[in-house]
Parts: sequence; C-alpha cells; structure tokens
Amino acid sequence: MTAAATEMRTPVKQSRFMRRALPYLLSLPALLMCIGILIPFFTAVYYSMLRYRMNLPAMKGFIWFDNYLNFFTDPKFWNTVYISLTYAFLTVGLELLLGLGIALLLQRPSRFNNIASILLLLPLMTAPALAALMWKLMTHPDFGILSYLLTVIGVQNFKWASDPSTALFTVLLVDMWVYTPFIMILLLAGLRSLPKAPFEAAALDGVPRSFVFFRITLPMLMPYIITATLFRLLDSIQQFDIIYAMTQGGPGDKLLVFQVQAYLDFFQATNVGRSAALMIILWAITYALSNVFIKQWLKLRERAHGAH
Amino acid sequence: MYDKEKGLFEAFVAKKMSRRELIQATGKAGLSASAAGFLLTQAQTRAMAADFDWMKYKGSKLKLLLNKHPYADAMIANIETFKSMTGMDISWDIFPEDVYFDKVTAALSSGSTEYDAFMTGAYMTWTYGPAGWITDLNEFIKDPAKTNPNYNWEDVLPGLRASTSWNGVPGGELGSADAKQWCIPWGYELNNISYNKKMFDKVGVQPPKNLGEMVEISAKLTKDLGGPYGIGVRGSRSWATIHPGFLSGYANFGEKDFTVADGKLKAAMNTAGSKSFHADWVKMIQDSGPKNWSTYTWYQVGTDLGAGASAMIFDADILGYFMNGGDNKEKGNLGYAPFAANPNASAPTPNVWIWSLAMNNAGTQKDATWYFLQWATSVEHDLFGARKMDFVNPVRASVWKDEEFRNRIDKSYPGYLNQHDVSAPGAKIYFTAQPLFFDLTTLWAENLQKMVAKEIPVDEGLDTMAAEIDKKLAEAGLG
Amino acid sequence: MDHTSTFEKTLRGVLITLVLVFFLFPIVWIFLMSLQTNETILRIPPSLAFTPIIDNYTALITGQLRTAAGSLQLNFMQNMFNSVLLSVCSVAVSLVLGVPAAYAFARFKFRLGEDIAFTLLSFRFAPALLVLLPLSLYFKSLGLTNTYVGLIWVYQLICLPLILWIVRGYFEDISPDIEHAYRIAGNSWWQTFRKISIPLAKPGIAAAGLLAFIFAWNNFVFALILASADKQPVTVGALAFVTASGIQYGQIAAAIIISITPTLALALYAQRYLVEGLSMGAVKG
Repeated sequence: MTAAATEMRTPVKQSRFMRRALPYLLSLPALLMCIGILIPFFTAVYYSMLRYRMNLPAMKGFIWFDNYLNFFTDPKFWNTVYISLTYAFLTVGLELLLGLGIALLLQRPSRFNNIASILLLLPLMTAPALAALMWKLMTHPDFGILSYLLTVIGVQNFKWASDPSTALFTVLLVDMWVYTPFIMILLLAGLRSLPKAPFEAAALDGVPRSFVFFRITLPMLMPYIITATLFRLLDSIQQFDIIYAMTQGGPGDKLLVFQVQAYLDFFQATNVGRSAALMIILWAITYALSNVFIKQWLKLRERAHGAH
Repeated sequence: MYDKEKGLFEAFVAKKMSRRELIQATGKAGLSASAAGFLLTQAQTRAMAADFDWMKYKGSKLKLLLNKHPYADAMIANIETFKSMTGMDISWDIFPEDVYFDKVTAALSSGSTEYDAFMTGAYMTWTYGPAGWITDLNEFIKDPAKTNPNYNWEDVLPGLRASTSWNGVPGGELGSADAKQWCIPWGYELNNISYNKKMFDKVGVQPPKNLGEMVEISAKLTKDLGGPYGIGVRGSRSWATIHPGFLSGYANFGEKDFTVADGKLKAAMNTAGSKSFHADWVKMIQDSGPKNWSTYTWYQVGTDLGAGASAMIFDADILGYFMNGGDNKEKGNLGYAPFAANPNASAPTPNVWIWSLAMNNAGTQKDATWYFLQWATSVEHDLFGARKMDFVNPVRASVWKDEEFRNRIDKSYPGYLNQHDVSAPGAKIYFTAQPLFFDLTTLWAENLQKMVAKEIPVDEGLDTMAAEIDKKLAEAGLG
Repeated sequence: MDHTSTFEKTLRGVLITLVLVFFLFPIVWIFLMSLQTNETILRIPPSLAFTPIIDNYTALITGQLRTAAGSLQLNFMQNMFNSVLLSVCSVAVSLVLGVPAAYAFARFKFRLGEDIAFTLLSFRFAPALLVLLPLSLYFKSLGLTNTYVGLIWVYQLICLPLILWIVRGYFEDISPDIEHAYRIAGNSWWQTFRKISIPLAKPGIAAAGLLAFIFAWNNFVFALILASADKQPVTVGALAFVTASGIQYGQIAAAIIISITPTLALALYAQRYLVEGLSMGAVKG
C-alpha cells in the first residue's frame, strides 16, 4: 500500500517484469544447483521396486511395491521404526531443553558468555564418528575415565553401551554431547536478536519473570526453536555414525535404526532393493514430519508479520 | 660398484653357497646389512626374472586399492623390486580398515575401472564372485605363458588354496574341482590361544586343553587375579564375532552352520551339540569374559590383552603376535598355545581369515595385473615380508620352513611356531559358502548377544533363529 | 536489570560450570590423550600423572611415524587440506546461492515461493545412503569421480538447506521499514540488499555459515564413496589410526585436536558477528 505507492515515486526505475522476476532470479540458482540430486533420487526409487541383491543376480526382477509390503509385515521393521522414532524424539527433546537452558544462561552478551558459547561448540566440531570412538574408550571398564569416575562415586560395573538396558542411554549421552551445542548456538543467536522494547516495558511494569519467559520470550523465540528442532530432527532420525561406531546397531537389535539397518543391507548384504526401500520409507517419514514443522513455522511468521 | 658382491649373491641364490658363507663373504667385502639385504632381493628377483619375460607389460600403469594393514606396508616397502623387474608403474589408494570394505563395495558395484587389484577377505568373494566383480584367476594360474615357472602355486598351504576358491553353488564345498579361484591368499590368521604367561604363572595354571578347561581356567583367573578378566573373545553385533574363536571351537565338535541336501541349505545351529556349545560359550562370557563384551571387536580384544586387562584371548594368533610388541604394556609376556575345544578331537580345527589379492573384473589391464599378483604372492616376496617385516602369517609352506623366519619368531614369540605348526593342517574356512553369509552370520551374532544378556534362552533362542534363517534362505531361493 | 539476587548469581554460576564441565571435559581429556603414548593412555586405572610428549603431533604434521616396526608414511596434512578446501568452498558457494534465496523467500510472496523453499529443504531429507549408489554411477558417467568440484557440488545438499532456512528466519525478523527508507532515498534494490539487509542479518549469516562449515567438515561418506585416497577429509584420515596392530589412541586424539583447530578459529572469528544481534534488536520495534 504505502510501500507500493512510495516505490512508484522512486527515481530508480524498475520494470514490473524485473520486480516479478526478481524473487525467482534470487532463488532459482540455489534450486538449480541442487536439482541434480533428483535424478539419483528417482533412480533409488526405481531400485526400491526391484528385487535386487547384487550377489544373487539371477533373482533380479521388478516387483512393484513388494519390498514395502514385506517390511510392513516384518516385526524387525517395526522395531526399526520404533527405535528410530524413539531415538529421534528423545535426542531432539532433551537437546532442545538443554540447549534452551544453556542459551538462556548465556544470553547476556559479555566477554565470558561469548567465549563460553564458542567453547561449547567444540563437541559439535568433533566428527561424530571420532567422538564415538573416544567415548567408547572413555566408557571402557578398565581404561575408561568415565567408568573410573563412576567407581569413585560407588557405581560399579556400569555397562554403558554393551547392555540392552543402558545402551540407549549411552548413545543418547554421546548424541547430546555432540549436538546440544547446535541448538544452543541457534537459540542464543535468536535470543540476542530479539527486540529490547517488550522486555524493557515488562521490567518497567514489574511483570514476574516466569510470565516474561513464557508469554514474551518463548513466543518470539518460537520460529528459531522450530528451525533448530527441525534440523536436529532431520539429522537424528537419519543417525548413523554414533550408533554404528558404538554398537553397530546392537546389543541384540536394540539400536537398529533406519540408516544402520540400511547400511548393513547395502554394504554387507548388497541388497540394493531392500536398502533403497527402507531409505525411501525414512525419507517419507522425514517429509511428513518436516511438513508439520514448516506449516507451524509459516503460521507463526504470518502471525508475527500481521502484528507489525 | 657392487659387481663382485653381485656374484656372491647369485651363487647363494643358485644354492651354490650357504647362508653362513654368504654372510661371512659379504661381511668381509664390507657390505652393510641393508645393502646386503637390498642386493639379495635384487639377486632373487633376477633369478625370478631369468626364465620368464617379466618385462612384457613394461610401461603399464596399475592402481591398487589397499587396506591400511601391515601386509600392505610390507608390500610397499618392497615395491621397487617389482617396478624394476617389470618396468611397470604402480600406484595405490590406502583406506583405513573401518571404511575399507565400504570403499571396495562402492567401487566394484559402480563398475569403476579405477582399481586393477585390491585386498579382500575370502568371505567377501562369496559376494564379489557371484556378482561378477572379480576374475577367476584359474585362467592365469593354469596358463604357463602367463605365470612364471617358479611361482609354485602348490606351495601355498592347501587349506588356504581351497578356502579361497568356490564354484559359486550355495553350499558348494570350498576347493572343489570345479571351483573358481576368486583370490590369491596373501597372509592369513588362524584362531588359537594367546595368553599372558606372567598372569598364568601367578595363578598357577596352564593354557586350557579343551572347552571345559577353558571355562574353568578363565573363571579361576578372573577370581584370583584381582582385576583382569579371564578370557577375551569378540562380541560385537557382527559376523566377525562368530568367525574367530567361536567357530573354531564350534567346528572342533563337528558342528556345522548349515547342512546341504539336494542343493538346498538348512540351518544347523540348533542341534543338541550346538546348543550345548552355545550354553558353555555364553556362560564363559558371562562369568569370565570382558565386561563390555557386546561392543568388543578385534581391537578391544587385542588392546585388553596388550594392556594387561585380560589373561588370555581365543582369537587370531596374529593379534596375540602384535600385542607382544610395539608399545604394549604386556609386551614380552605373551605366550601362544594351540587349542582344540573338543576333548575328543585329535587336533585343532581353527577357522581362518585370509587376506587375499583379487582382480577387478572391470579392470582393463588384466594380464599386467596378473604380473603384479603373482609377484606379490611369490615365494620371494613372502620371504621378504616374513623375514624383514611383520608379515604374519605367511601362506606358503616353504616360508614356514625358512630358518631365518623361524629363528626370528622363536626368539621373540615363544610358542608361536608350535601353535601354528600343530594347527595349520586343520586350518581352513569352516563356514558353508553361500551368498547370504553376512546377513545370516550377523543374525547369529545378534542372537548370541541376546543370549549373553539373558534376553533369550539358549535352546529356544537357537530354535527360533534356525527357523528365521530357514525362512530367509527360502526367500532367497537357497533353502 | 539489577534484581538478580546473590542466590541467583551463584546458581547461575554453578549451572554454567556444570554445563562447561559436561561438554568440555571430554575435549580436555582428548587433548591430554594426545600428549601421551598408547601405553600411558591404556593404564588401569586411568591416571592423570604422565610426562607429556609431542610425538603424536610431530608425527602427524611431518608425516613420518616412527614405530617399533620402522617408519610409516602418514598423509594427515593432506587430509586437512582436503577438509579445508571442501568446507570453505562448499560454504562459500552455499552462501552466495543461499543468502539471496533466503532474502527472496522472506521478502517476496511469490507463487511457488513456498514450494521452492520446501523443495530446497527436502534435499536434506534424502539420507546419504539412499543416493550413494546412483550418485556414484552418475558421477562416473559425468567424469566427476574424484574431483573437488564434484564433491563441492554434493556438499551443497548439506550446506544449502541449512543456510537457507536459518538466514531466512533472520531476514523475516528484520523489519522492512528500514529497507524501504533506504530505497526511497534513491538506492537500487541491489544496494539496499548489500548495504542494509546483509549487515542487519549478519548474526544469522554468521551462525548459519559456521554451522554449515561444521557439518561439511564432519561429513565423510560422500568423499569416501565418490573420491580416491588423495581427496579424503580428516575424519577418514583419523580412522587410519585404527589399525590391525592396535588402535593408536594418542594419534587419533592428536588428529582430533588438529582437526578442531580451523573450525575453532573460524568460530572465534565469527563470534563477533553473533554478538551483533544487539544492534539489530535496536532497529526493530
């Protein structure tokens, strides 16, 4: 309205065509850069409809959706779904709470807080595969410093990743150690970029802190929370490095998440059809979850813009 | 410069001079040990070269895909010999073992022509062979025009030659007359006991002679040592947990993984004998095994022995060998013993892992590549590796008879030669060759983990597992 | 702002200390391990008393490892170079492509806008394992196998969606008023973008760029499958110390410390921009 009117008065001319084309010109290069991945993607979809095991070439054949149907009747598949979703929601949930807490602790810009927040990124900078290797050593019953510290406080023989009852806890711990900084830094940057005015007003009015947090901070931070959570969720549900390095999906089948199972299907069993189908299912789950998140994010954005 | 000395070496190689005479003569000629070694290898190479046109593919460029392993290191140390003998240029890509086989699978499955030859294990050829990714090397070995007359293929231990050849029929016996030679054995490991002599002496026990004794002695060690645990065995969720000590002991009782009838495979892990073996093995781990057993791979089993956290291991002999050197705390304290789990068995039946060299079927220079393969697995190179580098275990009988090699081993690794000599006749792959090897053996390991964690009982667990395996075999058209 | 009681201050201090201990203890431990030989690392029980050695670092940097069995060649510095090259270039390309795109999605409501944005995000959904085999086949036919260009292209899948969506959030938060004011003053769209929008969104761009760098740095599966040994990143290089004759923990620890250094330096440099969120807040409201 006013903006459009103002624009027509600017000395710099801009054709209507340019104005309409501009967003496309800005965003299409990014799209074109990545669009190439669709070809391998559709090839993989094709694979998922084959019975194709590389060392049984005689059995190769087009079987439509049989791979998928076989999964749905396979209790091991449902175990994979269950453990993958559990892992994803637990890691993301816990990391969100912890990351938010740390961001709140460090939100005041001071030299110490800034340095601390950067140092806290160090676990994230360690490649997860290598981090898992180090954690495996740290949790070794004899040489491991963490096992030692536990014995000092009286906990003997903690089994860490080797026992079905503590394996999930152990990989969760490693995951949280590596990835909480990701959420923390995004939320910290978000917190620091929130407008000062509402907070100053609330302080003047003597509004209690919990009210400020829940009714002012959190809603304004929500878009950042959603972004951070979304990316963590995408990664967590595709988790491979940490779990494979620590237990290869064991003990038993306790940690056989999607990508670990698909890795074993492809690299060990050379079962191209099965691993492709499993990954397509993972892709579909990820697609559905992301849709939910993005819709929320857009709704929040609209509300925020409407309030201007 | 070295002409006079060259004559000495040639005489030695032609067996006209004994080793002692050679050493005296070169010492007199003032040759340093390394110069002498270099000249000796050269002379041997020249002898090798004499009856065969090694220069036929001069100028070719080969590329290898190698695992980061002492065997590869040994070959690289000697590669100049190959280059000067054949006039070929050779380069290689080395990948860490953790990711090595992923790289191989990726390269072969995409039909890459980048690598001409690569390192592999025998089990992998049960996948690569049927998939058409590797060449049957019989066509080269049996062709006198392509293979040099001194190659002496029969010198390679018979169990290893058989275990690396398969006719591709699921359940087909390894080493059958119609078997294809998928790879050439390069270095191997058999599974026996490596133990800490100091710890054993402290508690007053001897290495066990059968499974029953192993269970007892491990328990005693765990109780009396006040810290280290009795027996180290692998437990990770992988085929590599079943492959070493476990299968060696299992096979000693005559148990099998599959029975083959009319070309159909059937799971055989739920026989009464198998159930009894599993029960003993599981109990042994629960009582005297590593506390984090289900995450234990080759590395953890070895590290614990080398650092004094365990009293013995039932795993690859070369693992015990490596742990007796380097910067390990317990170096010098380790001993080696052959082990036959079955009290009624006359000799050990160790399962083996054979690092081998295979030829990429999509490669474009197969004849030249064969020249490399036959050099790398030749008597001369094997001797070099065994004498000068940590190339254990060599695959050739003649190398095992070599005095220099035997003396070197005996001096620093007492008992090693004996455990090998006693076990070598029975050393081969005891698994049944079939395309679902990795899936099913990993499933077996998964169930073993559940048994040790007391999630499933041994007997019923094995019955369920056998049924599941039979189902998978049927789906794949094998059972 | 002065109603923080001493109790609160102490509580805050305690919590921050706990957090720092949890996240930094393993790093410190790894650093200590990098100064020890394998023998001292593998002691029962683990102990802090040791004489530091720098052999692990010298071995990695000079490329010569002296072991009991002689001297081994190492390639770690080549791995470092590969990682730096791949990460820097990938992030640079992603920023050039992603920041304008993020701006477009934030500022303009155009048809297909949300669809394109979501599509770009969806590239992150594809698990690497899904596309590995087809990708290696296509790379082979396109001649992109074992090229830096090929890898940088693939790395866009990791970096671009991240940068896009994070920076978009920041652009959305910046009020358009100041941009309009600048435009009215007679500047072109491009000048506005360069002089106003980007600086205002600097914290977001810094955070996104840093995170994209970290994820690109830690990725190794694409390089492993699509490239030969000379292009492998540091993670693969560090795994080379997991050998048949034993895991060389000291060297792996040193490798981890060396590989963290560039990223840490980048983060310290970028923290300046992360702080500037303050000034931006002053513009809004």
